[in-house]
Amino acid sequence: MALPQTVPFIGWAWDDLIFLVLAGLMLGGGLMVVLGRDIIRSGLFMVLSFAALAGIYVLLGAPLVAAAQVLIYIGAISVLILFAIMLTQSKAGPSNLVFHHQSWAGALAAVGLAVIIIVVVIYTDWPGAATGVVASATTLIANLLFTDYVLAFEVVSVLLLAAVIGGVFLAKREDSPDPGARAVDEPTLGRLPAPRDES
Amino acid sequence: MSQSLDAYLILSGLLFAIGTFGFLARRNAIAMLMSIELMLNAVNLSIVAFGAFVPSLAGDGALIALFVMAVAAAEATVGLAIVIAIYRNKRTPLVDEYASMRE
Amino acid sequence: MPFFTAAPEAVPGAVSATDQALVLSLIVLPLIGFGLTALIGRRLGGRAWIIAVAAIVLTWLAAMVLVYQTLFVGAFGEAGLHVLVYEWIPAGAFTVDIAFGVDALTAVMLIVVATVGMLVHIYSIGYMAHDPGRWRFFAYLNLFMFSMLLLVLADNFLLLFVAWELVGLCSYLLVGFWYRRRSAALAAKKAFLVNRVGDVGFTLGIVAIWTTVGTLDFGQVFQLLPEALATGAIEQWHMIGICLLLFAGAMGKSAQFPLHVWLPDAMEGPTPVSALIHAATMVNAGVYLVARSNPLFAQAPEALVVVAAVGIFTAIMAASIAFTQTDIKRVLAYSTLSQLGYMFAALGVGAFIPAIFHLLTHGFFKGLLFLGSGSVIHAVHDEQDMDRMGGLRKRIAITHLTMLVGSLAIAGIPPLAGFFSKDEILAESFKLGFAWVWFIGIVVALMTGFYMFRLMGKTFYGPSHVDPEVEPRIHESPRSMTVPLVVLAVASAVVGLALGFPFENGILHGWLEPVFHGAEETLGHAGGDYQLFGIDGTLLLISTGVSVAGVLLGWRFFGFLSRRPQPEAVERLTQRLRPAYAFSKGKWYFDELNDLLFVRLGGLVARALWWFDVHIIDGTVNGIANLTRSSGGGLRQIQTGHVQNYALGIAAGLLIIALGYLVVVTR
Repeated sequence: MALPQTVPFIGWAWDDLIFLVLAGLMLGGGLMVVLGRDIIRSGLFMVLSFAALAGIYVLLGAPLVAAAQVLIYIGAISVLILFAIMLTQSKAGPSNLVFHHQSWAGALAAVGLAVIIIVVVIYTDWPGAATGVVASATTLIANLLFTDYVLAFEVVSVLLLAAVIGGVFLAKREDSPDPGARAVDEPTLGRLPAPRDES
Repeated sequence: MSQSLDAYLILSGLLFAIGTFGFLARRNAIAMLMSIELMLNAVNLSIVAFGAFVPSLAGDGALIALFVMAVAAAEATVGLAIVIAIYRNKRTPLVDEYASMRE
Repeated sequence: MPFFTAAPEAVPGAVSATDQALVLSLIVLPLIGFGLTALIGRRLGGRAWIIAVAAIVLTWLAAMVLVYQTLFVGAFGEAGLHVLVYEWIPAGAFTVDIAFGVDALTAVMLIVVATVGMLVHIYSIGYMAHDPGRWRFFAYLNLFMFSMLLLVLADNFLLLFVAWELVGLCSYLLVGFWYRRRSAALAAKKAFLVNRVGDVGFTLGIVAIWTTVGTLDFGQVFQLLPEALATGAIEQWHMIGICLLLFAGAMGKSAQFPLHVWLPDAMEGPTPVSALIHAATMVNAGVYLVARSNPLFAQAPEALVVVAAVGIFTAIMAASIAFTQTDIKRVLAYSTLSQLGYMFAALGVGAFIPAIFHLLTHGFFKGLLFLGSGSVIHAVHDEQDMDRMGGLRKRIAITHLTMLVGSLAIAGIPPLAGFFSKDEILAESFKLGFAWVWFIGIVVALMTGFYMFRLMGKTFYGPSHVDPEVEPRIHESPRSMTVPLVVLAVASAVVGLALGFPFENGILHGWLEPVFHGAEETLGHAGGDYQLFGIDGTLLLISTGVSVAGVLLGWRFFGFLSRRPQPEAVERLTQRLRPAYAFSKGKWYFDELNDLLFVRLGGLVARALWWFDVHIIDGTVNGIANLTRSSGGGLRQIQTGHVQNYALGIAAGLLIIALGYLVVVTR
């Protein structure tokens, strides 16, 4: 079954509809992340927001980035954050526990930031910008990655390794039992060890 | 609309503002980290948008977005580890209880 | 540069390595002794003295060889031996070397310092045998010997000053040796502080010398300063000023009026220390300094008059105080002041050789008397009050006999040592036109005999006033203490005759003539034959007569041999002279005067300055500090320590910058 060329009744292009739906999902999810009282729900809405963004990447002709978004953000980071939430056992609480007393100022700053960005974006004539989306081929990205960006690529791998080691070190318990540690009743110098029951 | 750079950039700006608000307003350290992730995603969106609409940047935009993701993953790892370590000491995830930077 | 080089101005013919080694060993041996005793002395326990005494005996041997070479062989000529060890401060025009000089004057000083020092070390073996801090004591004694030898060997003013301060430090350490005793700690502090007063003058004198002639080397200073005066480069008052400043230092170290107050209190130290430092050696440093600077003082006769006046006044004042003191060591301390006053009087009248002669003999007999008093104190179990002694003659016979020799010597009874030196001082002052010095000196000679035999009588003769509990345990001191006493007694008996006879032409005069003849010529004192059957014989008879009279007076009141003491007669005399007695007993109220002048009056001035300091100076400083602190405290409120406050600040800043940018761009 072939879809009509435009969205029925509205007359929009399908792309525009999908864009709007995805944008709404992403912004709504984002708002729920920052406004929700239950932090676990915040985390789940963050996954929604990330997923919508992955869709937008597809609209932008970057399917590789979309795939990475799903893998890294949804698959890795979101899960990591959800684990951290579970570990710190945060529960939903009254708004004074959720929100800082300076939240009104934060809201003001955020609105101001949004207004400025919108104004700037609208009134700026982006030089060299095409009128439509140019899809970036995966082969092109791959070529760039292993030629121009090979050093950055390797540096990122080192960074990730450092992050793994640092994360392990920071989160490790100080009093974790050392398997090589001796028993508590260690005899001190000059005193004979207590006779042991050799059964 | 889906073929206009401005739309994507405005979308990115809105998401960034939402993240900013979350970072400034939430008391929970993990919520703040999530807000940071939102802001990073907003930036990523704008980068990919530029890459898609500017022919001379074809490929570069997507690549930089990939690098940002890698760095974000590292940041999330270390950031969450720090939050867990502090939580273990202070027994609270609420950031405004951590005031040792004051002295 | 090589480590050992002869000073360029030394006598022709290089200084032999042996002589250099001898001079250096004098310094190095006691220093090694000090270091080793300080490091391991504690572990040696009762034998802590071994290293120290061995070091000093070796030092004594080296000193005697050097003395022999200098005085008897004359190996170094009139200029003496000069050893340059090290260029200490080569700072442009200001150069000071570590250089040692040995001439006849130094050699005579070496005789006293090394001999008395060695005997005191040996004596201390017995005296300090039961003190748990003996290793500390011997370490300090070695350090003192090092400092004192450095003082007499120094060949420039700065090195002399360093040694001067070092002996002061040792004096401080040893006076306060029993630092748990409050009076000892206070006495040590007093000695140190009073000496500082004199040292200010000494320091200024050294600075004045350097700014005038640009060198501190003895030989150059003594040549250049008189030249500068002769050519008119400096005024006469300049010379007098330098001499008086140097004399101020000498007054402090040798405890001359009005800086004498520290010496009697310094008797809080162990008795060997009193004998060595506060009788025989260190207190003579002032006399040595003036004698060493004789070419300068000869150019400033006005300063010499001051020296003579201060000296003879100290002599009579101290003698009058010695009349009434009951602490045996304090009597001896005032006696030391009095005798030092004699020496300064002699220096002041220009009789340099008799002054050094008296220094030498006094070193022996006063060292003897102090060590003897230590033996007495030892015998009666640390009792120093003569009212609680008496009748000890038979019990401690050796001490008694040796102290009797010392007393006769200091009283000036022929043919003991004190007779020769004291008579020379008195005769010279009369012949050189200082009749007032002679007259007061004669009175002091009378007083000396009296107070010394008062001491002897109260201690050794008459009925015993010793604590009945101690009485049965009185004993003669061990051999290590009596042997030095006997040696010193022999020395006190013969050294005057050996060195000072025939009168004014003895061996000592031959030795010291080269050092002082320049000064004597400048002063116009040279020449004049000795007339035994003229003026000199008369003066000799007078001074001997008063000395004998003094002794007889003491004998009449306090007993000797078969004569019983006459306490009633003493009491009657005391009653008749009540105000004078109180004045003497109160030590002329010098401590009270100082208290009024410096503690009360000075305290008021200091408190006024303190008020100014606290309220005006500190007020300004604190005001600035408070301003800074309060503004900082205000600004600190911004630093909440909450990350999100900071983040809000960042966001606000970002907004402001962005808005500002927009405004600028869109205009």
